[in-house]
Amino acid sequence: MRSTRDVVESDRIPEMGYYSDPPLLVLASLASGPKHGHAMIEDIARLCGTRLGPGTLYGAIPRLERLGWIEALEPEERRRPYRITAEGLRVLRAKMATLQQFVKAGSERLEPL
Amino acid sequence: MNPRMAQLLTRLYPHPWRERYGMEFQALLQDGDGGVRAGVNVALSALGEHIFPTHGGTMDQPVHSFGSIIKHPSAFIPVAMSLTALALVLGHIALYGAAREADEGAVAHIWQLLMAGQMPVLAVFAVKWLPRAPRQTLGVLAVQAGALLASMAPVFYFNL
Repeated sequence: MRSTRDVVESDRIPEMGYYSDPPLLVLASLASGPKHGHAMIEDIARLCGTRLGPGTLYGAIPRLERLGWIEALEPEERRRPYRITAEGLRVLRAKMATLQQFVKAGSERLEPL
Repeated sequence: MNPRMAQLLTRLYPHPWRERYGMEFQALLQDGDGGVRAGVNVALSALGEHIFPTHGGTMDQPVHSFGSIIKHPSAFIPVAMSLTALALVLGHIALYGAAREADEGAVAHIWQLLMAGQMPVLAVFAVKWLPRAPRQTLGVLAVQAGALLASMAPVFYFNL
């Protein structure tokens, strides 16, 4: 899956780059309810400061849909909302558990410094 | 972004992708403020979609392309076996010359095993894929036949 290369901008610690895993960000955004593309971009920007480019977002959506982790809802005018599936929630929980483990281990290493 | 620019950028994507996502993507582009970075982002994404199609949820897109079929083991293993056989023969000729030997050596036996061994794999490939994607499968079979003939050519040419 595409990861960091297509992200347009971030305002968090520019010298460190940005946190970007578009599929994970989309799953995290949809965990709070169905959203269409623009709402996802805004929600992700609020969530972690990463503003996904439109091409990046629509690079992740078809892949997540193919994997069965998100599903399309009926279009509202020209905008189509998506929602996370049960399988997508399971994947998101597993990914978040891994990240929590990483954060915990990283923080423990930083404590003595 | 103005509708005309959004339409132009959407047209950068492959047709099957546009059929499925074009309308909502165009709406998303119009919701955004546009700009060069967004344009470059879309152009790169569209290029990626041409190279590595995503075959999203309900896109009616052919999934049996030549590239995807030849990645299957039953497609590439016979080619690999033929090329290995060719490399063996050429290596043997380079080391020991092209003179015909009275007894068949280990190289000859390995060559025969590689040639014979790929036949059932070729048969499985043809039976499995010809009904699903005849045109693309014939292309792969042509590659397999080319590799097979290439591996046989030095044997017959030097009368080994």
